[in-house]
Amino acid sequence: MNKMTTVKKSIITAVCIALCVVLPQAFHAIPNAGSIYLPMHIPVLLCGLICGWQYGLLCGLVGPLFSSLITGMPPMAYLPPMMVECAVYGLIAGLMMKLVHTSKVYADLYISLVVAMFAGRVIAGIAKALIFMPGQFGIAMWTTSYFVTALPGIVIQLAVLPTLVFALMKARLIPTRYTNEA
Amino acid sequence: MNQLPTGMYQPGTSLVHRMKANIKIFCFLILTVAVICTETLRGYAVLFLFTGILIYLSKVNFGTALGSIGRLTWFFILILLMNICFYGPDDAWIRIGIFAPSYEGLMQGTHIVARVILMLVICNVLTVTTAPLMLTEGMEALLFPLKLFRVPTEQVAMILSVAMQFIPTLFEEAEMIKKAQIARGARFDSKKLLDKAGAILPLVVPIFLAAFKRADELSLAMEARGYRTDMARQRRKFGMPAGFEWLALATCSILCILQIVFL
Repeated sequence: MNKMTTVKKSIITAVCIALCVVLPQAFHAIPNAGSIYLPMHIPVLLCGLICGWQYGLLCGLVGPLFSSLITGMPPMAYLPPMMVECAVYGLIAGLMMKLVHTSKVYADLYISLVVAMFAGRVIAGIAKALIFMPGQFGIAMWTTSYFVTALPGIVIQLAVLPTLVFALMKARLIPTRYTNEA
Repeated sequence: MNQLPTGMYQPGTSLVHRMKANIKIFCFLILTVAVICTETLRGYAVLFLFTGILIYLSKVNFGTALGSIGRLTWFFILILLMNICFYGPDDAWIRIGIFAPSYEGLMQGTHIVARVILMLVICNVLTVTTAPLMLTEGMEALLFPLKLFRVPTEQVAMILSVAMQFIPTLFEEAEMIKKAQIARGARFDSKKLLDKAGAILPLVVPIFLAAFKRADELSLAMEARGYRTDMARQRRKFGMPAGFEWLALATCSILCILQIVFL
């Protein structure tokens, strides 16, 4: 019943893309919530963790695009670096879940999450420094915008995402990773 | 969250409404290049004039077309002020501590604000005049060349189409969950940042669970009806562009070339 078929992966990806539009609106009551709580990253990372790298990559590319087209957030000027960042999150989260097998779900999830979050920030920083804001984006700006300002978001992601995956497994909406942890 | 801020499709019979979705998206991409390549105030004036004509031809009221700009007023003011004060310290008018307002900064801030406004308005016109399903089919038609790189474009288009249709449903679901949490005592209107963040968390988990339940039901229903991703399916044939669509493509292309070469 909860086998991950291609159709199911596609629909989950679609839902995660839709959540990329809906979730930032839920955080809208908080000023500057987008850069502090990073609500759009949650569905992208989740999609990569659950469905795999291809689906995570698609969700990371399309989610911010749809959100920008429909709600105007992020503004078009910030869209390309955001798409790069989210695409790397989805891609690396999926790849890591494929590569890492420690026989503990939480360990797999945390390793994949931390690597994906770090890789996404590094690649987005490199892309900004070389392509989107050449000469204006330095290491201090990178540290501030991706780690200091976003610290509450990083904490929320590390707390919520493994719990969400586990809750979905418990609810039998996605298959369990290891049979002994059902 | 009661309504989408902007971009909801409004049916109509205007020239822009009648254009094929793939042509509209292609024109949108050309205009995006034009906006990005614009460097002078004269160039922005031409683009704003063109956007005004576009809104007039689409018969969308100006309030709808400019919808999200009002919400971003403070964002624009902040961007403008930051650029004025910090962008060009070498030719500053006056120096007060770390603030060095300059003409260069004023111009840079104006560039950014003008670009964002233009892109928002053009985006709004595209989404307001094109039904979501048509938008997806237009995207699928434009994604077709990716088939050469073995990208499953039909599957991608299906995902985009389902995502589009899920957005209003999930907005409603999120609104319902939000009201339920308020009834249980959650405080979304608290002035404290931590309280607000704490109140958001019980909102996030039920939204995800509800969304995944819907995804599970839909995928089961699709599979029960024999939907398979590995089989070819019928695609909408958009056909050759009509006369007015060629004209739209030519106008956008000429505008883009003008912005790159002359303006």
